[in-house]
Amino acid sequence: MDKSLFRYIWKHSRRDQLFVCAIVLISQPFYFMSLDLPRQIVNQAIQGEAFMQGNLTAPFLRIGFDLPEWLGGGSVRIFEGFELGRVGLLLGLSCLFLAFVVINGLFKYWINVSKGVLGERMLRRMRFDLFAMVLRFTPDALRNVKSSETATIIKDEVEPIGGFIGDAFITPIFLGMQATTALFFIMVQNIWLGLMALAVIAVQFTIIPRLRRELLRLGKQRQLASRQFAGRIAEVLDGVEVVHVHNAADWEKAEIGHRLYKLFDIRLRIYNRKFIVKFINNFLAQLTPFFFYAIGGYFALRGTLNIGQLVAVINAYRELPPPLKELIDWDQQRLDVQVKYDQVTQHFAEERLAPLAAAREAAEDKDRPLTGPLVGDDIRVSDSHGGMILEGASFSIDLPARVAVISNGGAAASTLARIVARRQQGFGGQVRIGDRDLMRLPASVVGRRIAYAGIDPILFPGSIRDNLIYGLRSKPLGRTEEDQREAERRIREALRTGNPIENIADQWIDYERVGARDEQDLDRILVDLLNRIGMSEEIYLFGLAARIDPDRYPALAERLVEARQRLHETFQSNDMADLVEPFDAERYNDQATIAENLLFGVPVAEEFMGRNLAQNTQFRSAIDRAKLTDDLVRMGLQIAETMTEIFEGLPPGHSLFEQFSFIGADELTDFQVILRRHAKENGDLRREDRIRLLSLPLAYIEARHRLALLDDELKSRLVEARRIVRATLDKTGTAGVEFYDPDRICAAAPLRDNLLFGRVSYRVANARARVAEAMAAVIHDLGLLEDVKRLGLDHQVGTAGRLLSARERASVNLVRCLVKKPDFLVIDGALAPFDEARSQQMTELLLELFRQQSLFMVLPNDRQAGPFDVQMRFRDGQIITDKAAKPASQANRPDTQAARPIAGEVA
Amino acid sequence: MTLEAEVQSLRQVPMFKEIDPARLKLLAFTSERVQFAGGQRFFSQGDHSDAAYVILEGRAHVLLNTPGGEIQVAELGGNALVGEMGILSDTPRSATIMATEPTTALRIDKRVFLELLAQFPQMSLAVMRELAQRLERTNAQLVAQSSS
Repeated sequence: MDKSLFRYIWKHSRRDQLFVCAIVLISQPFYFMSLDLPRQIVNQAIQGEAFMQGNLTAPFLRIGFDLPEWLGGGSVRIFEGFELGRVGLLLGLSCLFLAFVVINGLFKYWINVSKGVLGERMLRRMRFDLFAMVLRFTPDALRNVKSSETATIIKDEVEPIGGFIGDAFITPIFLGMQATTALFFIMVQNIWLGLMALAVIAVQFTIIPRLRRELLRLGKQRQLASRQFAGRIAEVLDGVEVVHVHNAADWEKAEIGHRLYKLFDIRLRIYNRKFIVKFINNFLAQLTPFFFYAIGGYFALRGTLNIGQLVAVINAYRELPPPLKELIDWDQQRLDVQVKYDQVTQHFAEERLAPLAAAREAAEDKDRPLTGPLVGDDIRVSDSHGGMILEGASFSIDLPARVAVISNGGAAASTLARIVARRQQGFGGQVRIGDRDLMRLPASVVGRRIAYAGIDPILFPGSIRDNLIYGLRSKPLGRTEEDQREAERRIREALRTGNPIENIADQWIDYERVGARDEQDLDRILVDLLNRIGMSEEIYLFGLAARIDPDRYPALAERLVEARQRLHETFQSNDMADLVEPFDAERYNDQATIAENLLFGVPVAEEFMGRNLAQNTQFRSAIDRAKLTDDLVRMGLQIAETMTEIFEGLPPGHSLFEQFSFIGADELTDFQVILRRHAKENGDLRREDRIRLLSLPLAYIEARHRLALLDDELKSRLVEARRIVRATLDKTGTAGVEFYDPDRICAAAPLRDNLLFGRVSYRVANARARVAEAMAAVIHDLGLLEDVKRLGLDHQVGTAGRLLSARERASVNLVRCLVKKPDFLVIDGALAPFDEARSQQMTELLLELFRQQSLFMVLPNDRQAGPFDVQMRFRDGQIITDKAAKPASQANRPDTQAARPIAGEVA
Repeated sequence: MTLEAEVQSLRQVPMFKEIDPARLKLLAFTSERVQFAGGQRFFSQGDHSDAAYVILEGRAHVLLNTPGGEIQVAELGGNALVGEMGILSDTPRSATIMATEPTTALRIDKRVFLELLAQFPQMSLAVMRELAQRLERTNAQLVAQSSS
């Protein structure tokens, strides 16, 4: 990015800036006219100057100009105008004044919008440029750059710069011209008054910027301090576990408190400075009218200045200070923004960025498979203390081959793996594949043909599928239907702001590369890989917990209804009927909560979920009409009594509270107060107490909690109330609840509940496991297993994959590498979360999958190295390469060929 | 049968008889009442110990694996507590429990039980007292056997 903000702005928005300037120029005569009109109205129409010589009419809208003397004098008339009487002239001039007001307003409107758009476009460009630079940070820079600070810079710090860009050239011109026009006008009226105003302006323009220099320094300090503040918060949040482990919360609080004090202190100094400057500025601005009134008035009294002129001068002066003030403000803003811009460009300093050129030469290199001899020559890597990790190491392997990189306990194996995967920049020597230098391969080829799975699986928030296919999205391959006009607009804007023109909605996934026909086929491949890597069970369970959208998968939804019926038949015929109590519109479900029984559906809106239901007026009016409120409140009282009795004495936050109690530990005392009040006031309850009590039985499940609160009569009334609740909700048109329907899928409920369409009994021993078994059998019989697992691919992984276990993350990371079918897979610690047996299995799987491509795997010891084609060892910074005499998978290989490259045979 | 009735049953169990009614209620509330069909196993010998059971209704047999097959060593009826040793000593099941008729039992989860013991010393003392008494009885039986 350019060093100077103004050069950057000029370079990218020259045309727009000039165009807007031109419009500003065009608007000026109109502005001048609107200034001049009040004088004309007073002098000509009201005071009647135009009718001085006894004229009964005066010309209105006469357009013409006087020729100067050297052209022979005289005047040219373009339009003779209308002859109007005195009142007519007054109204005509006044209307003209109004017209100019409107025209000026419209000019201002257009200019403001254009400026805003201009600024936003430049902001977009700048943010994008900065983001592009984020992707270019060198590994060294990444060690020092804090992600949260960078995010703050791109989001917050450039925002005022963007706001300023629209004003960068136009404002000084526009305001400058306004001020000059006003000043010129004053000068025309009275040269002395004009000079006076000019003198005060000159003083303003010299003093104020000087006073503001200190402000800039403070502004810079505050910007850095707030950036570090944001960075610190993110650091604490990321490391919050360590904060708790070491009980450093107080220290961290004090630290943040101190930073806040510093921010406050800087802001206080800024305020002091800022407002004193403002005071002086205002004073100077008001000094001029003082002179006008005093001196101008004196002239007027003396008769050297007519009243109309003075009014016009004062009028014009009223227009002068705002542009001046804004001009001074602009100057302030300019310096301010320049400081910010400098800070931003420092963060993205050139030496922190990798050269841009690497990406350019991409197009030249043909995308050929990475096979042939992989030769490392004289590789030298030193660690941060200057010790040599690799010291002139050389090796040669014919690809494709499966290589075990056996660690000697030091960093050498991992370093070599990173070099081969092109993750390591700073090393001496050369690595070549065939006739190509590995380091000079374009990024596109590397991304397509080399995969690297390190110890730290980095996942992005999104579904498992999104993460798995991350490596297949290198460029858009197909266009999706897009509204032509919208597309043109989008592309035009992108071109104007140096943004990419690719549409994010286009088809980016490279199905062909993985050998898939379409989305479904790709899902099948993903599920298959996950199965093989040992995540079959997890993906199945994720699928059972997933919600299915019947509009998106209508066929599957139908099959699920079929599966639901099949499952019920299974239960009936295998004497398992008592394991699940199905949802029945006419019967109370003992295994479900009272809320679920009343709604007979699944809430989709927040206001119908959990305890919120008791607050919901529609729901309350429905149970009021069903005459259930009193019963439910009575049940609430009983629950509150039991809970306060049995959970008393448990410390707050005890896990039993969270697991079993209807009442949170912090609410226990509230309910005790309600109970006492109830006892004292002979059963009368306040409204809010009733609502709170009402919320308790909503979560009550008769079979589970066994407080004997429900009898058959009450149950039948609850079933009866279902209809009223539903009617009430239907009438008000609230889509807050999705009701159960035996013939349809409930999109709000997880797949598991949809299949069961009922609740597993709490009463029967081991019911859950048996039901799960039966369900798995039905899913398998109906051939739905793959569909369920496909739904499992929709499972969200959370921020940095935190919703997955370490093993699941590692598995997803591996499959992400496998699915793009690299020529060359480098595994460096990716199997660490697995125990030895699993990691052995996975190694075998990888060896099996990579019969025709190359596998580079870092192993902690040579126990698992046997089946690899080539074994690499490290000694004294040197690499020793052993070609396996007899790869386990190809036992029939003659020994004599041991030294020969395996490549030919495997490929 | 309700929570109250379960508390009454728990009260009949020697190990729990001296515990506060409110604590017994908590124990009952945090337990699950489950039904076993005749012939269904509570658990099998060698299983991981995850819960103790109090039989509320019905009967169950205690079975031991021997080289000659399973043999019945005892019969349990109402208010019997089984499986508590396994969860206290964290060892696998030492015997198989099988319901001989439709049986209802209160399933006390291991984790919940241990947490209750950790939280309420009175409960721990009651359990210790019961265990000590059992040890005493065993000693007495050993003495009786050796002297006979």
